[in-house]
Amino acid sequence: MRQNFRNWPVLLVLFVFSAPLLIMLTFLLVDAFTTKVPGTMFPNGVTLHHFRFLWTDLDNGSWGIWGVTLNTFNFALFTSLAVTAISVTAGYALSRLAFPARGFFLGGLIVLHAFPTVTLIIAIFLILQLLGLYNTLIGVIVVKAALELPFGIWVMKGFYDTVPWEIEMAGVQDGASRFTVWWKLILPQVQPGLLAILIFSFLSGWSEFILPMVLAPGNDAQVLSTYLATMLLDGGTQADFNLFKAVGLFYALPVIIIYLVFQNKLMNIYGGGTKG
Amino acid sequence: MQRSSWLGLAFLSPALIVVLLFFMVPVVLTGFFAFTNMSTATGVKGGEYVLNASGLRALADAGLPANTLDQIEGAGYRVDAGGLEALAAEFGQPTADEFGKLHAGEVFTKRRDIERALKGLRSNPIRKTRDRKAAAELFKRSMMNERFPTLPAFEAALEEAKIPQADRPLITKVAYTGWVWTAENFGFLLSLESTWQYAKNTGIYVVFTLSFNVLFGLFLAIATFYLPAGQASTFRAIWFLPRILPPVLYIVMWRWFTWDTGFISTVLSSFGVAPKNWMLDTEFHAWTTIVLINGFVGASMGMIVFSSAIRAIPSSMLYASEVDGANRLQQIWHIILPQLRWPILFITSYQTMSLLTSFEYIYLATDGGPGGATEVWALAAFHTALNNYGGNLQYGLGATYALLLVVIGLMASLAYLRLFNFRNLLIKPRIEG
Repeated sequence: MRQNFRNWPVLLVLFVFSAPLLIMLTFLLVDAFTTKVPGTMFPNGVTLHHFRFLWTDLDNGSWGIWGVTLNTFNFALFTSLAVTAISVTAGYALSRLAFPARGFFLGGLIVLHAFPTVTLIIAIFLILQLLGLYNTLIGVIVVKAALELPFGIWVMKGFYDTVPWEIEMAGVQDGASRFTVWWKLILPQVQPGLLAILIFSFLSGWSEFILPMVLAPGNDAQVLSTYLATMLLDGGTQADFNLFKAVGLFYALPVIIIYLVFQNKLMNIYGGGTKG
Repeated sequence: MQRSSWLGLAFLSPALIVVLLFFMVPVVLTGFFAFTNMSTATGVKGGEYVLNASGLRALADAGLPANTLDQIEGAGYRVDAGGLEALAAEFGQPTADEFGKLHAGEVFTKRRDIERALKGLRSNPIRKTRDRKAAAELFKRSMMNERFPTLPAFEAALEEAKIPQADRPLITKVAYTGWVWTAENFGFLLSLESTWQYAKNTGIYVVFTLSFNVLFGLFLAIATFYLPAGQASTFRAIWFLPRILPPVLYIVMWRWFTWDTGFISTVLSSFGVAPKNWMLDTEFHAWTTIVLINGFVGASMGMIVFSSAIRAIPSSMLYASEVDGANRLQQIWHIILPQLRWPILFITSYQTMSLLTSFEYIYLATDGGPGGATEVWALAAFHTALNNYGGNLQYGLGATYALLLVVIGLMASLAYLRLFNFRNLLIKPRIEG
């Protein structure tokens, strides 16, 4: 195309609006590893002091960081496994199998996919209290997996929809049952979908804050998001942002690595969007 | 039914169970809870019956006759095991044994009577008036502050205290510590001035954030479409980061940016401006920060959706317009924007709903401050039911706030069925038989 406009005004506007983000990200990295004189902008020395939470217990009454990290990992992992396991069959049923009231279930899936689940948190809080799962990691995992499920089924159904019918027809023609066809022929075709849901719900679980805060506020089930949030909100006016940034960087490290590896895939999935 | 029907239902059943437990049940229960006065004080599971000083005051205010109140307060003097034990400790075992033998199980309605009985003991009478008074007090049985775990136990106690039948329902109602059904939440909310403030705040929040999201998302999508590939993907990656970073870390960065010792303060202090908290110092600053915090995350969703929609426009249309001499602005206005009509509608409706109901960023950034200026409806529901400084969490009242959001959410999600091309989804499976 002919170059009939100038790039620089657009670049300038983009740059001005991106500036806060760029500044925040730069100083996230810089402040975590450096010291500076209060009231100045630029660092005057390099230090690992802000990462002391990795080898000593901070005096804030919580578990050591490694227990919290293990909790976070378990939370994210089991959430994503549960979501993937349930959506892989449900997605296939909705995409390929004929059964009564299929249209109703499909409609229900769209409604659920769009439904703002955070409005249910009060009722879910009371349900967990009645079930005795309040303040346990298992309780939060179950709830998170449940709320993530409509999205997982929706994505999985999309992947199944792209598999050619001919594969299944050939399998059925050769005498295999529908189950065998799914297990042996179709499942290998949708492996990218499985991976996508695993990654997506792992990230979503890793970042989740509201559910652990409301449903498991105790120390035993603490995860990194509530660990950092407690620091941030209880700090009062004496906030040690270098420490917050160091913890935040440690917390976000898996996210950043996964993002760098799967960047393009993730952008496509987030297009479906679950966050404001 | 055919075999594939069974397979389909079996494949779907785990998902159905989860959906039932964590979507259907909570939706219905939110409705139920909105009609209760459930709170930390009442508990979730049910309650007991106990009358205390404040309960008694409430009864007096409700016009209960004075002598009924007296009866509750001093239900009489009953000679029971506990009283006898106390008597033995104070006045010796023989006294207690004798008194027990003569009067065990008796109830004296007046203190004079029990004192006379104590005086009348054959071998170990209590002679001093002051001692008798003290001894009588040991047997005083009042309904005050005694806990009755069940309704029958409480009714039996009322019976024993000879409370008039007509007064009992009111007393039972006041004494019950558990939750009860009530429709008062709705009227109460409407009478609160802060409710209207929350509604107004929510309006401000949604309108401004949504405008930022859609307009800036459009700008990002169109700008990165025209920019060379390298620059475009750099900016896309930058704008995608707020979405991918954990919300808590994202807010840490914003709080630092606006903190007294943070970026804005430090930069401005070299121009002689006194450092302050730029997020919480005025309502205007608080709203600006909240809109930007949410807008920076929201714009990236618009960017992704609009970008893929722009890429789907046949390039021949764009070439043709250039041959006809259109400049970039004309191209955007006459070709790109008309093609984005549906994506814009989608983003607008989707984000309206998600903004109406989300409170995570506001909670972490301003927590509704300064002075409730940024307290939106969803945050108010959360504060009322799950997180407040008073400590008495009002689940029922919070559920009433949440109910409105649930109803709006349900209606909007049902409207989605129309937006989506539902017929395409309903294509029949091809292998049957």
